[in-house]
Amino acid sequence: MIKTPQNMKDYTDQIRATLKEKFLQTTLNNFATSYKASRAKAFSGMDLEALREEIACAKDAALPRLEELLEEFTRHAEADGVKVHFAKTAQEANAIIAAIAKENNVKTIVKSKSMTAEETFLNDHLEKQGLKVTETDLGEWIIQLRHEGPSHMVMPAIHLSRYQVGDLFTGVSGEEQDPENIDKLVKVARKQLRPRFIEADMGISGANFAMADSGAIGIVTNEGNARLTTTLPRVHVTLAGVDKLIPDIKTALTALKGLTRNATGQGITSYVTWIKGQPPCGASEKEVQTRHIVFLDNGRLALAKDPVFSEVLRCIRCGACANVCPIYRILGGHTYGHVYIGAIGLILTFFYHGRDNARAIVKNCLNCQSCKVVCPAKIDLPYLIKKVYREVMDEDGKRPLRNRLLARVMGNRKLFHTLLKNAWMAQAPIADGPKIRHLPTIFGRKHDFRTIPVLAKHPLRDQWSSFKPVVRNPKLKVALFAGCAQDFIYPQQAKDAVTLLASYGVDVDLPMDQTCCGLPLLMMAENETAKEVAEQNLKALDTDRYDYILTLCASCGSHIKENYPKLLQKENAVPEGVKKLEEKIIDFSSFMVNVLKVTADDFRVSGKKVAYHAPCHLCRGLDVVEEPRELMRVAGLDYVPAADEDVCCGFSGSYSVDFPEVSEQLLRRKVANMEATGADIVVTDCPGCVMQISGGMDKHASRMRVCHMAEILREMRKKE
Amino acid sequence: MENGKNKELFKEKAEAIQTLVSSAATPEVIAAYTVDLTADQGGKTIALAGFDEETLAALLPDLKEKAKAKGIEVLEPPFRPHLENIHTGLTPALWGIAQTGTLVLRSADENLRIATMLAETHVCVLDPATIYPSTDELAPLLDAAIKENGAAYMAFITGPSRTADIERVLSIGVHGPEFLHILFKEEKADD
Repeated sequence: MIKTPQNMKDYTDQIRATLKEKFLQTTLNNFATSYKASRAKAFSGMDLEALREEIACAKDAALPRLEELLEEFTRHAEADGVKVHFAKTAQEANAIIAAIAKENNVKTIVKSKSMTAEETFLNDHLEKQGLKVTETDLGEWIIQLRHEGPSHMVMPAIHLSRYQVGDLFTGVSGEEQDPENIDKLVKVARKQLRPRFIEADMGISGANFAMADSGAIGIVTNEGNARLTTTLPRVHVTLAGVDKLIPDIKTALTALKGLTRNATGQGITSYVTWIKGQPPCGASEKEVQTRHIVFLDNGRLALAKDPVFSEVLRCIRCGACANVCPIYRILGGHTYGHVYIGAIGLILTFFYHGRDNARAIVKNCLNCQSCKVVCPAKIDLPYLIKKVYREVMDEDGKRPLRNRLLARVMGNRKLFHTLLKNAWMAQAPIADGPKIRHLPTIFGRKHDFRTIPVLAKHPLRDQWSSFKPVVRNPKLKVALFAGCAQDFIYPQQAKDAVTLLASYGVDVDLPMDQTCCGLPLLMMAENETAKEVAEQNLKALDTDRYDYILTLCASCGSHIKENYPKLLQKENAVPEGVKKLEEKIIDFSSFMVNVLKVTADDFRVSGKKVAYHAPCHLCRGLDVVEEPRELMRVAGLDYVPAADEDVCCGFSGSYSVDFPEVSEQLLRRKVANMEATGADIVVTDCPGCVMQISGGMDKHASRMRVCHMAEILREMRKKE
Repeated sequence: MENGKNKELFKEKAEAIQTLVSSAATPEVIAAYTVDLTADQGGKTIALAGFDEETLAALLPDLKEKAKAKGIEVLEPPFRPHLENIHTGLTPALWGIAQTGTLVLRSADENLRIATMLAETHVCVLDPATIYPSTDELAPLLDAAIKENGAAYMAFITGPSRTADIERVLSIGVHGPEFLHILFKEEKADD
């Protein structure tokens, strides 16, 4: 039933079709906005970071012990009369459950929501055996009736409108339903499903927790259907991934605190149910319920032992990685996953449903870090998505030509820089002043949603010796990591920063052996070359000689700080030199505010109205949030907050080339939000964002100017 | 003092999620409240489960009498034969959790489960002395309760049954009770 595109061509077609679904985009957009507010409210007054750390540590401690926990759980559960099964594969799990149904003479089954059952396509299997299976979670029932998969882990039918549900329920109930009356639609489900609960021979549930020291399970729900599913039928079967095993109830209660707040912004759901042994059951001749628990492996045990990927099993299925994802917000779950959707879905699809289903979707990540910072179990989702991308390429046995070329060129700094310089010559015929307004037709019109800046005639590195200001008795010595964009496209941004810093007695060097930070390589899963350039930069940026390593590019900064330790670790330890680099690297706004402690006296009072775009890699990658806003205020600018300031502009390097339609949508929204502020200028902290947003402003004939923080700061600085 | 704070917080949190909370319930008040509420809603039946012998002796005769006067039947367990005609479920809670306004019900008794799951309205009696600040303080008790010999079915109930599965619009009463009323048991003034 679920068909996921297995190549980029089919996937692009699916994306184009999805972009025409206006209801979907409106509803997901509203959801993204309201989710942010309700989540913040749910966690207010709590130490969220400590909780995330606690959940991550508790899961990490359990994962290497899964087999042991399974044995302990089985011992306790079986002592209380519950039969525990272990299924190596999805097919095995389905066969076990069908056999339980058969031996208990089961005809009808009610199910409460289980993502694991979605994973194994359990319903299809049971229906083929002639069993009547009814989903009872409202959302799951709706998609079962429509023969669809869930489009969200927590809200499976979020993609549907009240009108679609109204039509569906009119058909099911045989009575005309008023789609405007959602309360009444919900009551249709109550009325239609009650008899199903009462007649059911068997109930199938999932489990959020399986506690080894008691053999009890925990189920988290809102509707009350799981309580009915586990109470009324004479047989109850639980299907759970083996990763749901945890040592004890304390671990469950800790995870629960993060789960409900992160999933739906609720302090707790309406119902949390803890079941152990065989509860009394009037429908059973034995007067107690027959209970079975099926633990599904399907690759989990191997995954738990993987040094890189084991952390995906920390997932507690809150669905938040989709809620905050700017791509999910545009495409919805059916175009952004297979069975599991969102960031975690891109990863799990590869492990649970194979590389054919993962191949195209796994490329669809901006690396904007939104999911990483919201994950209650601190899974580094964007990093692992790139790792899966690489696994897919390796298993397919072919790296695209673009990858091989990129790796070869970037691995050699001199070759890379020579090519960039030559490229300036090549683009001359299509350039229109400082911009390329229309790409040659071979690129296709879908890339024409923004203008692209031309490469600078003289890169920063070529101007450096004649430009470098002389600073006598410097207060601080700083190395500038320019990054490709400022070196070759926007040298003026770097020059403005250096001039400004000189006025504060900061002596800036540009170490010439530096090269691309390597993020574009990691984005294309070229890890080996990403590691090579990281080593080159580590050597070039001689940390002992400088007080700080300054970067004006949030992406370079966050890549160096976050990913270099991962790329360059040796025998699971981060070398001293890398640690020093990690400590010394700093972004422009933080340097101005926290190191130089600039004051309002240094700047003219202009009262210029500015809007701000928070680069993904600054506000999440480097966790720098307050400093840029503070800096704009100190510099005498009238900063007007915009909607979705911290949502990705859609650039993300090669992403915008692979997924131009999605990038265009993100840019369109960014431009609209910026224009709505009524400001004259957009300020940001990343040359990539400057490039994307000014390209969008051009296409939308906007009068707004887009500039880097360093440029506007230099303009505002009082003359000496 | 500390418990007064828990009680206040519990009330505030429960009321924020469509739950009605009343104080100082004696057995007479519980009986009158449940019967009046059932009558107001046009309900015809009350299913009572989970009370200890002492409370039951004080509550049941009065409840039956008041119910009878309004044409309401107090159902006799087992409740399996009444799955489709339970209007009000009346049960005690074992503990409360202040931070979230959560009731904890010892629910191994099938009649109690049926009364709290299939009713339109659930009236639950909670002793304020058993309200804990959060799950942190409750964890050891819950752990022990689950590990008691035999089967366990412990239920956290927080507000009425709810869903937001259609266009994320909150709707109350999808599969479980549509109304949840909590009666704080009268506190003994012996200290």
